Amino acid sequence: MSEVEVTEGGCLCGAVRYRITGPVSPGAYCHCSMCRKSGGGPVSAWISAPQERFEFIGETAPAVYESSSEGRRRFCPKCGSQLTFESTGNPDTVAITVGTLDNPDAHPPHLHFWTSSAISWFHLKDDLPSFEKTPPIGGGKD
Amino acid sequence: MHEAEETMSQPMVVEGGCLCGQVRYRIAGPVAPAVYCHCSMCRKATGAPAAVWIFAARKDFRFTGAPPASYASSPRGERLFCPDCGGQIGFAAKTKTDEIALLAGSLDDPDAFPPQSHVMFVNRLSWFHTDDDLPAHDGIRPSAV
Repeated sequence: MSEVEVTEGGCLCGAVRYRITGPVSPGAYCHCSMCRKSGGGPVSAWISAPQERFEFIGETAPAVYESSSEGRRRFCPKCGSQLTFESTGNPDTVAITVGTLDNPDAHPPHLHFWTSSAISWFHLKDDLPSFEKTPPIGGGKD
Repeated sequence: MHEAEETMSQPMVVEGGCLCGQVRYRIAGPVAPAVYCHCSMCRKATGAPAAVWIFAARKDFRFTGAPPASYASSPRGERLFCPDCGGQIGFAAKTKTDEIALLAGSLDDPDAFPPQSHVMFVNRLSWFHTDDDLPAHDGIRPSAV
């Protein structure tokens, strides 16, 4: 019997922690301006997992900000780290920021989306599929 | 207000803020070249694969909206963020009190600030390769964060 894959992460201060039990969907870069304004990075990167296999396990519950009529971003109320994104259009899935994973090296993104909003000077050395707006279902945070 | 003074002596005005717009800031003065930071703390704070920072003199900087919340991420300084949306804004170093660092992603026009170097390069993610030939340092930026 093989061991169940467990992926954990949390915010900078450690108050909010999370765990994903079982496989996660591969990562995706998002170049949208909303991700930039929330995380502050030049690009964001996300993995996703079914809600039923995702849980917050830390001492502190995340705060939530409704960034649009369809989107909710959860963050640490103590240090502000951006943790997850949920969409009403895809309610069974949660997207998790790669930067808050304890082992982000294990989750290289497999595509780019919202490249139409990318910063002009931000270029990566890769040949990943790129989408000007949202990716195919299951491809990323949307 | 010091608009006349800004117009005369400080041609550059840079603005930014958080996602929800509660925390806003303005820099009226020169901005030091942007740097990529690949440290794990920047990753955990931003959730992004790496951070990009610009630097301004504290005297040229002011918050123009609601005040940010802060988190003392190390004895060296505090990270500033929006208490309402968590938007990451900047870093105020205790070791360099005349300067403030701002995250490029929080700028209204990040296109204007291409990074000129990498710091904490030794800590970069194995799969994160920016397409550039910028100087890469394994330590911190010599004079600041």
